[in-house]
Amino acid sequence: MRRAHLLGLGFMTPALIIVFLFFLAPVVLTAVFSFTSMSSGTGISGGAYEINEQTLRSLTDRGFPKAKSEKLGHDLYRIGEEGLGAVEADFGKAFADEIRAELSGELFEGRRDLERELKKLRSRPRSIRDLKKAADLFKRSVLNTRFESETAFLDGVGETGVELTADDQAVLVKTAYTGWSWTTANYELITSMASTWRAAKNTAFYVLLTLSFNVGFGLFLAITTFYLPKGQAAIFRAIWILPRILPPVLYVMMWKWLTWDTGFLSIFLSNFGVEPRNWMLNSDINAWVCIVLINGFVGASLGMILFSSALRAIPPSMLAASEVDGANRWQQIRHILLPQLQWPILFTTSYQTLSLLTSFDYIYLSTDGGPGRSTEVWALYTFHTALNNYGGVLQYGLGAALALVLVVIGIAASLFYLRLFKFNELVSQPRIEQ
Amino acid sequence: MSSNFRSWPMTLLLGFLSLPIIVMMVYLFVDTVTDTTAGSLIPDRFTLEHWRFLFDAPQAGRSNIWSVTLNTFIFACSTSAIVVMTSLTSGYALSRLNMPYRRLLLGGVLTLHAFPTVTLIISIFLMLQMTGLYNSLLGVILVKTALELPLGIWVMKGFYDTVPWEIEMAGLTDGASRFTVWRRLVLPQVHPGLAALGLFSFLAAWSEYILPQVLAPDGASQVLATYLQNLIKDDRAPDFNMFKSVGLFYAMPVMIIYLIFNQKLMNIYGGGTKG
Amino acid sequence: MRILLDQFTKTFGATTVIDKMSLDIESGEMLALLGPSGCGKSTTLFAICGIHRMNGGRLLFGERDVTHLPSQMRNVGVVFQNYALYPHMNAFDNIAFPLMIRKMAKPEIERKVLAIAELVHIEGLLKRKPAQLSGGQQQRVALARALVREPDILLLDEPLANLDAKLRLEMRSEIRRIQQETGISAVLVTHDQVEAMSMADRIAIMDQGQIVQLAAPKDMYDEPVTDFVASFLGNPPIAFLQGTVEGKTIRLENSDIVLPLDAQAAKQGNGTPIRIGVRPEHFQPEHPVKISGKISFIEEQGREELFDVTLSNGMRLRSVQANGGAFRLGDEVSWGLAADKVLTFDPSGRRI
Ligand SMILES: Nc1ncnc2c1ncn2[C@@H]1O[C@H](COP(=O)(O)OP(=O)(O)OP(=O)(O)O)[C@@H](O)[C@H]1O
Ligand SMILES: [Mg+2]
Repeated sequence: MRRAHLLGLGFMTPALIIVFLFFLAPVVLTAVFSFTSMSSGTGISGGAYEINEQTLRSLTDRGFPKAKSEKLGHDLYRIGEEGLGAVEADFGKAFADEIRAELSGELFEGRRDLERELKKLRSRPRSIRDLKKAADLFKRSVLNTRFESETAFLDGVGETGVELTADDQAVLVKTAYTGWSWTTANYELITSMASTWRAAKNTAFYVLLTLSFNVGFGLFLAITTFYLPKGQAAIFRAIWILPRILPPVLYVMMWKWLTWDTGFLSIFLSNFGVEPRNWMLNSDINAWVCIVLINGFVGASLGMILFSSALRAIPPSMLAASEVDGANRWQQIRHILLPQLQWPILFTTSYQTLSLLTSFDYIYLSTDGGPGRSTEVWALYTFHTALNNYGGVLQYGLGAALALVLVVIGIAASLFYLRLFKFNELVSQPRIEQ
Repeated sequence: MSSNFRSWPMTLLLGFLSLPIIVMMVYLFVDTVTDTTAGSLIPDRFTLEHWRFLFDAPQAGRSNIWSVTLNTFIFACSTSAIVVMTSLTSGYALSRLNMPYRRLLLGGVLTLHAFPTVTLIISIFLMLQMTGLYNSLLGVILVKTALELPLGIWVMKGFYDTVPWEIEMAGLTDGASRFTVWRRLVLPQVHPGLAALGLFSFLAAWSEYILPQVLAPDGASQVLATYLQNLIKDDRAPDFNMFKSVGLFYAMPVMIIYLIFNQKLMNIYGGGTKG
Repeated sequence: MRILLDQFTKTFGATTVIDKMSLDIESGEMLALLGPSGCGKSTTLFAICGIHRMNGGRLLFGERDVTHLPSQMRNVGVVFQNYALYPHMNAFDNIAFPLMIRKMAKPEIERKVLAIAELVHIEGLLKRKPAQLSGGQQQRVALARALVREPDILLLDEPLANLDAKLRLEMRSEIRRIQQETGISAVLVTHDQVEAMSMADRIAIMDQGQIVQLAAPKDMYDEPVTDFVASFLGNPPIAFLQGTVEGKTIRLENSDIVLPLDAQAAKQGNGTPIRIGVRPEHFQPEHPVKISGKISFIEEQGREELFDVTLSNGMRLRSVQANGGAFRLGDEVSWGLAADKVLTFDPSGRRI
């Protein structure tokens, strides 16, 4: 290998490491996670074994003998060293020694039985409350106790004295496991749930509308500012670049202020007898209008930048010539400006299709998918499912499956753009051949 | 541009369409230093009341604005520094050096540049949890860096592409190694690009909301974006004057940097960023 | 130092740009590589200085085989067409750069830079950045930088192309002077034949990756081996006539003009097609082998005048005359060829 090769690879190494860790690994992991049942309930790092009320119910459903599951649900009191140690710490050595001598190794089905025995001891505490407390120290229950490993769990179950057949044990272990497991259920869910279809429909609607607005309005801005005197054009460009450079949180906050029921629009319109209302969330249509405008202003300013710089590349002599030829303004736009913008328009369209398809931050900050879930697009739906819902468990596995759809679209589209924009012509060989 | 056409109808139309933004911006500034009676649009009193968040002790459950600002600053600076340093070497390698898999690497960078990175956030979230980087500023910095990197490399490669080959050839025949040529002869030519990229990544990190929100929601590593959004979300009776003051405080560096370095940044904004 | 390029082959991907070319540069001579755009001049130059790898053949600097050495270890000085000065360094640092890379002591560097600056006449400009220098001054700095390390060979890639006409004249003789004073072997790449003729000891004419002829300027002008060489040298350029041999004469195509050029015709069999090359100075009113035509173009060049004469079959001859003031556009004239100076070529372009 030549020296420059080594230098090149060395120069690429930091980037390669970062790319590997934060692009390749996540893509692979997204695929992996999508085949699991991971959620905030199961945790992500393996699981534990635990019997709770719900486990008991499912046990019965799965044919586990009812008598045994009832027994598992009950408390047990066993006199062992652990409990004795606790008693010694709380009530003194004398009491502990006496229990050890009299009751060591015995098993009681209920607390009352144990209390009765304790009352017989000479060094017992005087108050009934303390006695109850002491008895509780011997409570051994598998109910609601987490066991980190299967053996510990089975040992714990063994202590209750429940006899298990091999079949029983298998069912019990499987039911009591709280961790995640491999499954294809996520994909079945995606195709069957009504909410995914709604999200897909919303996404198509959103991309179509916003994209048209972005390109159309971006064009409008670029062309109008192109014809304005230099100073005015600069001012308008500066104004329209603001949505893009302002931090999204602040930008959306200003929209909220504009549309809130005590905000600018409501107050302004109340002068004309219009009831104040929350213009962003009071109806589906208004919510959509807001979302398209919020995203559209940002996207249009990008379009404006790209289109404007393409227009600046038109030789002034060409414009002058067309004016001498008697072209009116519309004809000039149609026959000179627009042809010049062909590639930038194609570029903006393809680029923004992909980013609109997958981005959700402005929607999340403004309507958060509301009212109801009428503006919830696929990306936001994914985000809600996996990372941010008020309703309870975060379903990482299902979210990953939803995200994988976008990942696949993203990769396919990126590769398509490489072809579209003639990547091969971009790659020229280095002129120094060392 | 062209004097044969009248321009005032266009000015008027554009002015009208720009009203929402103009109104928002004007009130953003005005509302931070005035009070307005409910139901009116005209401010009636000058006050600095809304800026007291800068000096008051934070309410229970809120972070101190200055430590949040410091976090944001660290976040933005580190991201910018790592992006710039990594792009500086990778951009050069892609632009100028012969190496195995060069085509693949170039294609890879371009693909990643177009690739929508938010789609990866779930697995990144889980990865950070597994590695213990969840809820730390470091985790967010690393992730943000990674997401900004493809653009950075591509932009930097573009700047390197403009350096004449002959300068490097001359350096080689003068006896310098490829590394020395890069370090002593090429690097000084791309300073402007470097500054632009640094500023750009700084602003990108400064404005970032989703990543800190998802990957480090805790108080200790809060940044201004999440701080402001928490204010807005929490409040039952929204105090927009205060929100705007915090927001203005938050956006000030962005606007200043933008005002000063407008031209430089435009190169990158126009260079096909996401949005 | 003597430089030997032996059987040099260069390919880019599937296309072979230079195929088994050999070139011998004598110690202390200035050799011009002359040829049309795209013929492989720069490629040859890059191979000599080590920026390109050779796909075949050897390169010797004196006795040393440098074929596989990287640029850094070859000790060549190169002046690029756009000078490639380092924009962020002043002239002094630019010139000192190669010495600094060799870790030479400071005072030594200073001494050498000042000496070379004196040679190229830029003593007063050393503090300036390249952007503050004129084209000619930049050129001198580039020369100084190439020479300061005392290279085995000096390579000049179109060094004058970026200069205006007057400076070009001045730098032509300057570069020649400096090369001769330092006694260094040099290769001058150019597509300007005047430059090559006036500066070089020998000229190598290249076409499509091959050296067509290698000779001293005067020899090459008088005795070109192909019509390509003949057409490349000389300004205004040589004019060609098509004809066939008829006994001891040559009949021009599509006409009844018969030229009694027996010396040339004798070398070929009856009926073979032939090309006749006539340089403008060999087509004059007083020369013996007359040929008639109409003046179709006149260009005043101050000291002399250039005429195009169109023959009855549409072919065109050129003439340069110092005192041709009497002729008008459209005049019918009957001027003569200098029979012994006329060049003849066979259909493939080879000189007969
Ligand atoms: N990197 C390359 N890849 C492919 N072909 C190349 C490359 N570099 C040069 N060529 C081709 O090799 C041939 C010779 O190029 P070269 O630059 O040597 O020409 P030149 O004689 O210097 O021309 P000019 O007078 O225009 O500088 C040309 O046909 C050119 O297209
Ligand atoms: Mg060349």
